[in-house]
Amino acid sequence: MAAKGDMVYAWAADAACQERGECGGAVTALLTHALTSGMVDAVLAVKKGQDLYDAVPTLITNPEEIAETSGSLHCGTLLLSKLVKEYLDGAKDMRIAVPVKGCDAMGLYELAKRNQVNLDNVLMIGLNCGGSVSPVLAREMIAEKFGVDPDTVVKEEIDKGQFIIVTKDGEHKGISMDELEEAGFGRRSNCRRCKMKIPRQADLACGNWGVIGDKAGNATFVEVCSEKGANLLDGAVKAGGLKTEAANPKGIEIRGKVENSMLKLGDKWRAKDFEALGEGKERLQKIMSETGRCIKCYACIENCPICYCVECSTKKPYLVEPGQVPPPFMFHLIRYAHISDSCVNCGQCEENCAMDIPNALFMHALQTDMEKMFGHTPGVDMELPVLALVEEQAERQRLSDTGSDQIFDVFK
Amino acid sequence: MDLKYVQTTCPYCGTGCSFNLVVKDGKVVGTQPYKRSPVNEGKVCPKGTYAHEFVNSPDRLTKPLIKKDGKFVEATWDEAYDLIAQKFKSYKPDEFAALSSARVSNEENYLMMKFARGVMKSRHIDHCARLCHASTVAGLAASFGSGAMTNSILDIAESKCIFVLGSNTLEQHPLIGRKIVQAKQDGAKVICADPRYTPTARLADLYMPFVSGTDVALLNGLMQEIIKNGWEDKEFIEKRTKDYEKLKEVVMKEDYSLENVSKVTGIPADQIKQAAEIFGTTKPGAILYSMGITQHTVGVDNVRSVANIQMLTGNLGKPGAGVNALRGQNNVQGACDMGALPVVFTGYQKVIDPAAHKKFADAWGFPDGICEPKNGYEVTVMMDVLTDNPGELKCMYIMGENPMISDPDINHVRHALESLEFLVVQDIFMTETSELADVVLPAACYAERDGTQTSTERRVQMWRKAQDPPGEAKEDWQIISELAAKMGYADQFPYQNMEEIFNEVAELTPSYHGMNYERLNKPEALHWPCPTVEHPGTPILHKEKFSHPDGIGIFAPIEWKPPAEVPDAEYPFVLTTGRILWHWHTGTMTRRSATLDSEVPTGWIEINPDDAKALGIQNKEMVRATTRRGTVNVPAKVTPDIMKGVMFMPFHFAECAANILTNNALDPIAKIPEFKACAVKVEKITEA
Repeated sequence: MAAKGDMVYAWAADAACQERGECGGAVTALLTHALTSGMVDAVLAVKKGQDLYDAVPTLITNPEEIAETSGSLHCGTLLLSKLVKEYLDGAKDMRIAVPVKGCDAMGLYELAKRNQVNLDNVLMIGLNCGGSVSPVLAREMIAEKFGVDPDTVVKEEIDKGQFIIVTKDGEHKGISMDELEEAGFGRRSNCRRCKMKIPRQADLACGNWGVIGDKAGNATFVEVCSEKGANLLDGAVKAGGLKTEAANPKGIEIRGKVENSMLKLGDKWRAKDFEALGEGKERLQKIMSETGRCIKCYACIENCPICYCVECSTKKPYLVEPGQVPPPFMFHLIRYAHISDSCVNCGQCEENCAMDIPNALFMHALQTDMEKMFGHTPGVDMELPVLALVEEQAERQRLSDTGSDQIFDVFK
Repeated sequence: MDLKYVQTTCPYCGTGCSFNLVVKDGKVVGTQPYKRSPVNEGKVCPKGTYAHEFVNSPDRLTKPLIKKDGKFVEATWDEAYDLIAQKFKSYKPDEFAALSSARVSNEENYLMMKFARGVMKSRHIDHCARLCHASTVAGLAASFGSGAMTNSILDIAESKCIFVLGSNTLEQHPLIGRKIVQAKQDGAKVICADPRYTPTARLADLYMPFVSGTDVALLNGLMQEIIKNGWEDKEFIEKRTKDYEKLKEVVMKEDYSLENVSKVTGIPADQIKQAAEIFGTTKPGAILYSMGITQHTVGVDNVRSVANIQMLTGNLGKPGAGVNALRGQNNVQGACDMGALPVVFTGYQKVIDPAAHKKFADAWGFPDGICEPKNGYEVTVMMDVLTDNPGELKCMYIMGENPMISDPDINHVRHALESLEFLVVQDIFMTETSELADVVLPAACYAERDGTQTSTERRVQMWRKAQDPPGEAKEDWQIISELAAKMGYADQFPYQNMEEIFNEVAELTPSYHGMNYERLNKPEALHWPCPTVEHPGTPILHKEKFSHPDGIGIFAPIEWKPPAEVPDAEYPFVLTTGRILWHWHTGTMTRRSATLDSEVPTGWIEINPDDAKALGIQNKEMVRATTRRGTVNVPAKVTPDIMKGVMFMPFHFAECAANILTNNALDPIAKIPEFKACAVKVEKITEA
């Protein structure tokens, strides 16, 4: 019987599933088992759309369709968390299995804290993620830096610090991520700063890091992170869909090293990005200037996994005068005030911004500052954020009783 | 539960953004980014973000309506078709006119064109391109031999100098506006001339407020300064153009000296000098323009002047340069390409050309022939004929247009449409225009159909059906085909789907000849011209030579002429009109989108604080605006963002319709009306 903390190599029993999937097709086999066994009612996963630069979320109730979601798409920069809230009623009446990157998992936790997603009904299959590349930029990068027509690429992967492509003629070509990112390509900037590489807040954490020996490339490293995850793993093995063996101790060590080096890289990018933002007035000036071209498309709000209010303050005429282009700075201040303690740096507010405002950078910079101040890390567990701890009515009463001018006096 | 994403293209402006429609249990419930789009990379403007909100509005038309005793009564499709067929058959060919639509697909515009010319055998078909870029189509065709935006949206980001003239790109084509931002981040200089300090003007390194309607003077002045300093591209002029001397003769006149141009335009001479230096010496330079250039009685002159300065500076046929005429509507380029114009078949093949006429007559195979090989009436002329020559036009078929809000001088339009004996309107909502109809047919909206549309950069992209139309509403191509069949032409309209129609278009249209649905389904799609199935499409026009038969671009000497109506003692201000970020044209869709409506629920008139003070008008006060055509009451918006002496109204709002005030004075060639300048007076409303 598997238990939390166990680490195994796993692969699909079915040869076709092994072939289609990444690293032995374990995730595909786990999702299939979750659905066929009735553990979940549906699977929310990502499949290839027009080509390998096009990732499309899909809700699956027929196990045969899970095969379509096999393999990884590093140019899929979607966030699934908000979809669960928005279009699946927050999994309130439906049990779903979702393969999640770190940002997906963190977003789900934040929505769950706010009673927007019922985590009891969500089975999270975590996927190690070193970062993703926006599809259009990826195509440009492949054309410019690799000198390859992006339409001829049949597979891409990120491995050992390289972005690697395989063309339909079987040619492999890899360029180091550092070099690509130096040239303005490579992973999204939020991904570079990300430090959630192995999402252990999911039920299982799966990836290829640490798979060595004859299993390299043919099995997935699975870390069991919850009882739910253990049950899924056991069930899949018992039903004959999945095969496992204990992870090689050397492999476990290597996995730890890979993770550590990724985390260090994340720190390096944080230092670089945040330093460039400056501090105090300089930082404010930068933020005001960049947000000055906002056209209020609401993409930052609509795609944010923290935003959930039915009555959004940015739509209150007494706070933000409606219809103005660009909107008053208050529009952005409201977002910083409401989100920054819980920002999970998923990058959607920046990637979807019609005017390329580095929203995620600003929010993430604020979040890391607040994390230092209050010790709260968003997205990793069910701990409530700083502001959620404050009852507004009680605060107002306190203000009036004490004559303090500190609204939400978090320093008390 | 069933949940799926349907990738489609936006139904609003001509940028051609894509997004996903989220379909839950068969109904459209939201939009999500489609990041694979090369045009917008998943980003959209607020209209795109909320493009799902009107789709399942309870106001959608769901049944055919026939007017009986002044009231609409629900009818079956057969009843409606029978009545329309019987009426349509009772008119002579040229008593019928059709208005096609820049909102529907290429396939449906093609069918409407075929219906008008083949079934009705009428010469008269037009659509609202007349009101936006008719001057571009005519002007650029005269200068370059092809009347479309010369470059692609993506390569605007590669420009080193962007001159925005008569376009508020950030609000009207926001995701093209993003390309200006990207160019600027890459070091490009941005110049913007506009009477209003728009969000686009805020991006500019050099912003020049100028008097609406003085574009030719400004451009001639810039050209004089460029020539004086020797910044013209002599090699380009020598090798690729003709009639430069004629141009030079005009622009070098004293009339266009810095001082004189400054007087006419209101721009300080040193700013004009500075603009000329930046634009003349920074390559490649792109000009972005839109309605501010075209919607004038001198629209064609304006367009030709833009063409002149780009030939003068050699800014054509290369990335980051070009004449970027930004087309307003999602498929206005396509509706023109499909020949929904009174002078051309598809791909601008002239109606009066006997060979083209024969080609279409033969291909269509109507046993009783098609329309005469003669040009028909433009929509603006149709309205004049209806009021001035009663009995010449008697019946009209309008698909997806709302001239009762969109056309100039609405009182005149009402008079014209009321003069019709029989009017059929096909739309998704009851509109100010369909209210006047005898029969109203319920149509499918963009989310309920397949088909193609052609964006401003000549990129032909797919619409994809996400849900069924409500009630008994049908797709436009089905309605037109079924009506044609009722009238005895089932053989000419045998289509089972949109793809069959597109293949017929490709067969008959050289610039679309190499396109098919398989190729267009790729995210990059194709830019026309695309003459063969191997051809990769043409993002940039005029690379080696222009599209005239001899390959040479033609300079046109243009003198500045003032607008048809200029301020005087009685009407002392210039009124200019336009659209805003939040709403689409006549508001039928956006005003039914809760989020957009809550941002901007009604219209306004922008007044400079000095003018407002002189008139004793406060911000947000209801005022009376009057021109020679009519009067509206409208809230004042007192703002320093508009120059003194000029006033601006958005035209989306029926309750304070700007087009009650505008002037139906027409450009002599393009027949485009002068929406952008007329004389207005504004008064305080005092209790009687």
